[in-house]
Amino acid sequence: MSATSRPSGAVRLGLGSIARWVAIGLALLWSLAPIYWMLSTSFKTELEATRLDPTLWPEAPTLANYIGLAGTSLPFVSFFINTVVSCLLTAIVCVVIATPAAYALSRARFRLSGAVGYSILAFRMLPMVVVLAPLYLLLLNAKLLDTGTGLVVGFTTFGLPFAVWMMKSFVDAVPIEVEEAARVDGYPRWQILLKVVVPLIMPGILTTGTFVFMEAWNNLIYPLTFITTMEKQTLPAALVLTFTGQFKTDWGGMMAAATITSLPLMIAFFAVQRSMVRGLTSGAVAGA
Amino acid sequence: MAAETSMTTARARPRARREPLLDWMVLPTLLVMAAVVGYPIVYTLVLSVQDYNLLDFSPANYIGAANYAKLFSDPIFWQSLGNTAIYTFGSVGVSAFFGLVLALLMENLGGAPFRAIRALLLTPWAVPFVVVAFLFRYMYLQNGGIINAVLLSTGIVDAPVPWLNSATIALPAVMAANIWAMTPFFFLLLSAALSAIPNEVIESARVDRAGTWGMIWHIKLPFLRNPLLISSLLMVISNFNDFAKIWAMTQGGPGYSTSTLVVYVYRLAFESFEFGYASAVGVIWLLMLMVFAWLYMRALRMENR
Repeated sequence: MSATSRPSGAVRLGLGSIARWVAIGLALLWSLAPIYWMLSTSFKTELEATRLDPTLWPEAPTLANYIGLAGTSLPFVSFFINTVVSCLLTAIVCVVIATPAAYALSRARFRLSGAVGYSILAFRMLPMVVVLAPLYLLLLNAKLLDTGTGLVVGFTTFGLPFAVWMMKSFVDAVPIEVEEAARVDGYPRWQILLKVVVPLIMPGILTTGTFVFMEAWNNLIYPLTFITTMEKQTLPAALVLTFTGQFKTDWGGMMAAATITSLPLMIAFFAVQRSMVRGLTSGAVAGA
Repeated sequence: MAAETSMTTARARPRARREPLLDWMVLPTLLVMAAVVGYPIVYTLVLSVQDYNLLDFSPANYIGAANYAKLFSDPIFWQSLGNTAIYTFGSVGVSAFFGLVLALLMENLGGAPFRAIRALLLTPWAVPFVVVAFLFRYMYLQNGGIINAVLLSTGIVDAPVPWLNSATIALPAVMAANIWAMTPFFFLLLSAALSAIPNEVIESARVDRAGTWGMIWHIKLPFLRNPLLISSLLMVISNFNDFAKIWAMTQGGPGYSTSTLVVYVYRLAFESFEFGYASAVGVIWLLMLMVFAWLYMRALRMENR
C-alpha cells in the first residue's frame, strides 16, 4: 500500500513548508550519511581510512579492499556462499511448511484454529536465546552441530512462525468465493490450495520468503554458536570473528566486507518493499 | 487491505459441530515447532534446576531452585535487566517518535521524486544488523572516527569523546545506532496508517478549519494510536532479542555497561558453559517477555474486533 495521493490542498510556499523541507533534508542526511561513509571508506586505503582528519571523498580511490576480500587467507567467497545457501534454504523450507498452515488458519475450519494460531504467534515472540542452550545440545546429539543443516534448523525456530503469520494475512485477502468453483467440481482441498490459492498469493509468498531470508541474514547468534569451523561460517559471524581482534585496524577492508554483506539484503528489501506493510504486523495497520 | 482475520470470522460464525478438532494442514508446522522450539523450552526448564556445566564431566545434579536463588543476588543479572529495559524502551520510544515525525512530514507528497525520497529514507532498514554495528563502531572511533572529527572541527567538544569505551556513554551510543536502523520501520507502518485515514474525516476537519497542529493532535494521532501501539510492542519484543548489534559493537562492555539479558545469557552459556544457570536466567526472562507477548496479542485482537 502506498502512502501517497490523498487529494489535498496545493502545497503552500511559506515558512511552514520551508521548515518541512529542511526537516526532510535532515532526515535524508541522517539516513544516508552512514551508508555513504561505508561506501566511501570501502574505496580507501588502510592508511587513509584511519586518518585523524577523515577525508570525505577517497583521495586515491582503490578497489584493493574488494579484490583483497577474494584473495586473503580468509575464505570470504565461502562465507558468502554459506550465507546465501543457508538463508535461501531456510526461506524455502519455512514457506513450504507454512503455506498449508497459513491457509488452514485463515479458513479456520477446525475447532482448535484459535489456539493453534495464537500458540504459533507466541512461538514467534520467544526470546531466541532461551532455546539457545537446549538447541545446541539437541544439535550436538543429532550430530548437526557445525553443519549448514543445523543452521537452517536454528533459523527455522524464528522463521517458521513468522512465515505462518505473515502468509496468513495474505491468504485472508483472498475471498473464499474464488475457491467455490473448484470445490463444486470436487477437487480435494490440497489441490484447491495449490491450483487456486497459491497462484493468487504468489506475491505474498515471495514477500514472506524474502523476509525470512532477511531475518536469517541478520541473525548472528546461531551461526556464532552452532558453527565452529571457520570455513563453514556465515558472513555476519565471520565479520565478528575476524574483526574482534584488537590489532585489526583495516577499516577499509572491513567496510568493503560490510558492503558485500549488505548488498543481497538491500536488493531483497527493495524487491518486496511495496507489499511488506500488510504482512509485517498481520493487520496492525489495516483496521486503523 | 483485508481488515478482518480468521480470528474474527471464526468468532462471528457459529461453529458447525462436524468441524474437526485439527486440520492436517497445520500438522507439519506444529510438528516442526514442537521439535525445534517446544522441546528446547521444556529442556530449558529442566536445565534451569540443574547444575549442568558443559565443561564439567560429572553428571548434572538436580539442585532445585538454587539457580533461581543465585539469580536474585546476582548484581550482573540486575544490571543486565536494567540495561535491557533502557535499551529496549529507549530505542523503541525514540524510533517511534522519529518515525511518526517523518511519516507526518512525508504525508501527501506524491510523485516520482518523493517515492525516491521515501525509498531512501527506508534504506537503513535494509542494512544487516552486524553491518550497522561495525559501521557505527567505525564512526564512533575515538581517534579518526568521523563523529569525533566533526565534533572537534566544529568546536562542539574539546577532546575526542570515548563513545564506546566509556561505561556511561556506551549504552546511549549503541542505542543511537539501533534507533538509526529501526526508525524506517515506524516510518513505513505509520505512513501506511496515515494514508488509511478515511478522506471524509480529513475533509470535514478541514471544513471545520482545523489548523495543522489541531489536525495532527485531534484527528490523526487518535487514528495512529493502535498502529503505533502494535508496532511498538512488536519492536519491543524484537529488541529484547537483539544480540547482533550489541555483540558486534561492544560485546556487552566496557565491563557490563551495555550487557543486556541476551548478551548475559550468551556469555554464561558459551563463555563459562554454565548451561544450568543460563537456563534459569532464560526462564525468568521468558516469563517477563510473555507479559509483552500477551499485551501484543490483546492489542491485535482489539484491532481486529
